[in-house]
Amino acid sequence: MKMTIAYFYPQELNLYGDTGNVEILVARAKSREISVNVVEVGAQDKPDSYFMKNVDLVFMGGGPDSGQKQMYKDLIENKGPLLKEYIENDGIALFICGSYQLMGHYYLSADGSELKGLGVYDMYTQHFGHQKKRCVGNIVCRLHASLLEDPVFKAVNHTGDSLVGFENHGGRTYLAKSLTPLARVMSGYGNNAEDKTEGLHYKNSLGTYLHGPLLSKNPHLADYLIAKALGLEKLASLDDNIINTAHSALEKRFT
Amino acid sequence: MYIISIIFTKIVNKVITTFRLGSGNTWPGHLVLKLNPYIWKDIKKSLPERVAFITGTNGKTTTSKMLRHILEKQGMHVLHNETGANLLNGVVSSILLHSDLRGSLPYEAAVFELDEFTLPVLIKHIKPQVVAFLNLSRDQLDRHWELDVVLEKWQKVVRHMSHEQGLILDRTVSNLRLLAESFSGETSFFDDDLQILSGTGLKGDFNAKNANCALILAEKLGVPGPEAEKSLQDFAYAYGRGEKTLYADRNWQILLAKNPESMNQNLKLIQAENSSTDTILYILNDNIPDGLDVSWIYDIDPKQLRAASRSKKVYVSGKRALDMAIRLQYSGVDVVKENVSSNLREVVNKMIGDGHVRKILVLPNYSAMLAIRKILVGRKIL
Repeated sequence: MKMTIAYFYPQELNLYGDTGNVEILVARAKSREISVNVVEVGAQDKPDSYFMKNVDLVFMGGGPDSGQKQMYKDLIENKGPLLKEYIENDGIALFICGSYQLMGHYYLSADGSELKGLGVYDMYTQHFGHQKKRCVGNIVCRLHASLLEDPVFKAVNHTGDSLVGFENHGGRTYLAKSLTPLARVMSGYGNNAEDKTEGLHYKNSLGTYLHGPLLSKNPHLADYLIAKALGLEKLASLDDNIINTAHSALEKRFT
Repeated sequence: MYIISIIFTKIVNKVITTFRLGSGNTWPGHLVLKLNPYIWKDIKKSLPERVAFITGTNGKTTTSKMLRHILEKQGMHVLHNETGANLLNGVVSSILLHSDLRGSLPYEAAVFELDEFTLPVLIKHIKPQVVAFLNLSRDQLDRHWELDVVLEKWQKVVRHMSHEQGLILDRTVSNLRLLAESFSGETSFFDDDLQILSGTGLKGDFNAKNANCALILAEKLGVPGPEAEKSLQDFAYAYGRGEKTLYADRNWQILLAKNPESMNQNLKLIQAENSSTDTILYILNDNIPDGLDVSWIYDIDPKQLRAASRSKKVYVSGKRALDMAIRLQYSGVDVVKENVSSNLREVVNKMIGDGHVRKILVLPNYSAMLAIRKILVGRKIL
């Protein structure tokens, strides 16, 4: 079996060890004898819809302002329409922090300037400057029923019903009422530090503020993405003893 | 008022250290700055003409210790915030604690290693003769969340420096070139020429950089190059930065690895040395001085982790021992769960209970380095 991961903007968007997520997907797939092809898609590259048809999973991380400036124009003008089509056609994708924000309608800066997003997700992000503090810290959140009740998730979940991770964002994201968040915040900030929502689950794509190696301590989510990407109903289980111990230790420590 | 501040500082330091209330190298300065914000005028008057500022993500402590070593070989008395207290409170504490009761500082030179955000503030109060920006890479991202912000502050510093002040940069670091462009004077560059380490006990590209930088710093403060180079021959590693020690009849070497860059450098060094090391102890904490976010361990090159750990026993500790163990596993390193514990004392005992553990390399991040020194050397800092 073969899996193709399209890793968008690996140079520009890799602020908090985001690459670790791809490394983990590859390692976990390989342990199931699935061969993995990671295609890095940078600002210079010109993927077309034929390429996207062969992609099983899209990953995009978050970046510093300078990184986002470098890829923004290319995203809006070139890759945006492809990504939008991919998501709307039920493609499997994971967007973290900066890239998650860019999937919304716009990002409103503290100085009032507005940065247009791709508008795939019915949401917007606002930075309040010094009025509201930056959302930084460990976070624990309980996955939404949309995932917990998914038979594929149930089949691969040996970890629990929560996610543990770290978030670090100035912008606060507000989802339209009709959207399904990825999880509910148990401790930490989440999308906006107000409504307890964290991330977004839209069709087969996920957006989240849990950055860096989100998948390192959430193997259930990693396996869910792999199984979904390949259309499998379940996966052989791995020895996740240390990982699951870490997951429950962190859940306990931070709630 | 200045004399009172000095006396106050000395008393606070004495009280704090006697009753073990915290750091005697930071609290006195913190309180003095609150009580007497105008103290800078007097501090400025008391400082020697030779003042060097050193900042950067990695190498601050070692480079400043090298510079101090060179200057002392010239017979100078050197004021130096050697404990690594590199915020404003640490600098002020160090100055006042070393002042005499007439308010003067009996030193011919002052060497300050400074936090990346402290230098831009301190330089508004004290005019250094020379400033070295060593490098800038990811470190403590929950505090310094973006490198761009730091770089912008540094650029502002350089723009305000006068051309007769010295500016020293790493020739091989591209993101710092901007600073040279913003400077009205002539920038001096150092590189990683390993030649400088021959005859010293030091190893590694990063130590070559530190030494080459220290040499230029010394030159700017009036010490000729060849003489400075000679004095490095008997330089000893700074605490926790390559420091070797004997404990429980075993050889330990502590290599501070506090961010991706310093970890990658140390992992390369371990392979290059091809030494008889049989065991590696990784320690990862998430205390405030370390940064609360440990995501950076995924910016460590997995190939380096695997190669450096190959055919060695691996132990893992620290508050984030499990996170580190997972990172090692995903890099292809065999980790035995029994050798992973957040209790450092327990892990060390386990190691010395194993007769095959003879020569150990310790790779701790910052507060973990202090914790392992406490066990191996008996004290956290100096």
